[in-house]
Amino acid sequence: MLTTQLKYDLVMFFREIFYLIFTIVIPPATYLFMGQLFGGATYGENLNYVQFYTPSFIILITFSVVFFAFGFDQVMNRSMGIEKRISIAPVDMRTLLFSNIIKSVIITTLGFMTITFIGITVYSLEIGFADFLKSYGVFILINAALLTISSAIYSFFKEMKSALVFSIVLFQIVLFTADFTVPVDGMPKFIQVIANLNPIYHINHLFIDVWNGMFSLNGDSAISLGYIAALVFISMLLVTRKARN
Amino acid sequence: MQNITVKGLKKSYGSKEVLKGLDFSAEQGEVIAVIGKNGAGKSTFLESLMMIRDFDEGRIELFGKDIRKLNAKAVRELKRDMSTVLQPTNFYKNLKVKELLSLFNAYYGKDADLEGTIRRFELGEHMKSPFDKLSGGWKQRVALAIAFMTSPRLVILDEPTTGLDPYMRDVLWKNIIRHNREHKGTILLSTHYMDEVERYCDKVLLIHEGRAQVFDKPANILAASGHASINDFYLAQIGETEAVPC
Repeated sequence: MLTTQLKYDLVMFFREIFYLIFTIVIPPATYLFMGQLFGGATYGENLNYVQFYTPSFIILITFSVVFFAFGFDQVMNRSMGIEKRISIAPVDMRTLLFSNIIKSVIITTLGFMTITFIGITVYSLEIGFADFLKSYGVFILINAALLTISSAIYSFFKEMKSALVFSIVLFQIVLFTADFTVPVDGMPKFIQVIANLNPIYHINHLFIDVWNGMFSLNGDSAISLGYIAALVFISMLLVTRKARN
Repeated sequence: MQNITVKGLKKSYGSKEVLKGLDFSAEQGEVIAVIGKNGAGKSTFLESLMMIRDFDEGRIELFGKDIRKLNAKAVRELKRDMSTVLQPTNFYKNLKVKELLSLFNAYYGKDADLEGTIRRFELGEHMKSPFDKLSGGWKQRVALAIAFMTSPRLVILDEPTTGLDPYMRDVLWKNIIRHNREHKGTILLSTHYMDEVERYCDKVLLIHEGRAQVFDKPANILAASGHASINDFYLAQIGETEAVPC
């Protein structure tokens, strides 16, 4: 049953233009476009474009998939009565949830590989096998954290329109306050405050460090990890409470 | 054998009491119409039977099992013998009709007669159409095909003929009768078409002000009330003016 559901979940994802544009098209295109404009610049702690933005765009794709194709998709199914219709069928709801999670992991992995491939072929990205594996492991943990946060946030939405507006606004906020485009350091102070509240900003910087073999547990990384862990914990409480209801 | 037994079913939404102690039972193989004004509680009653709407008081037994005493696995087992059409009808919008049939067949884990279902509901020309691209009538047709595909012992249909043209209404009723004859399936349906109630249903349940006001065979109802049709009887029961003679 799980394989059948997963097959159709993937089919539905690849037939939804809205999801494809925000997950598969925009992030790689922006990665390529920005590389042409700012490829020679230096970022953060003496990182070049490909070292800084390759992990960043992997996180951007992961965020887009998890928030659009997982979170928003749940609201769409709820508001259109699809969830209700399926709940009448003799299918274990855990099967549907696992299928959705595996779908997200497959699509984000595809994004991970695509960005890495573009980095290697277009921008001469160099990454050791051990760092690549370590990064993929952390990437899966990030997936789990984002899936939990996304589930909690979208469980509050009953209507598709409000969830859609929220998703598009959220995408813009995340795009500009998580160091995916113009570096936050060069932005006005209030944007930097928003960035510090944005969990994707913290996730992005932790992942950049892991990707480049620069991660160490210090004050900054401990704050980022603690903040993300707290959000995941709160999200898990919310999801469990909603599920019980 | 009784497929459905309902005793003292009560349900409120906030301060509004929708069901006020409804009693009902259905034997295997019966076709029963549930009628009543909009907002009378028909959908709440049917959704309680479908196990997707919790109720406040009372008891529901399906195939002899008290649904409140079942664990999740037992509920899933019970659902394998049931199917339904909801209002409004919606499925995964990006899946094609043949994919939806295949997916729901997998949900039920039965070896359904897909070809026969496609033929009986005349879905052939739209098998490769995404569900979202179908008109309302075709969507309803797909929903009905899915409901009958696995030959369930109990089919619950919430206003199944709404939005269907007369030809498709006829196709639906032929399938209900066939299902009832071949599988001794119990059919419970809410409808506003009183001609269908009179013509096809074994019994009529009239829900009025949250209770089962009348529950009997159409012929008995007409004989006891003296009305010429179920439509006249219905209008008289819900307190509307007499039907205007044609």
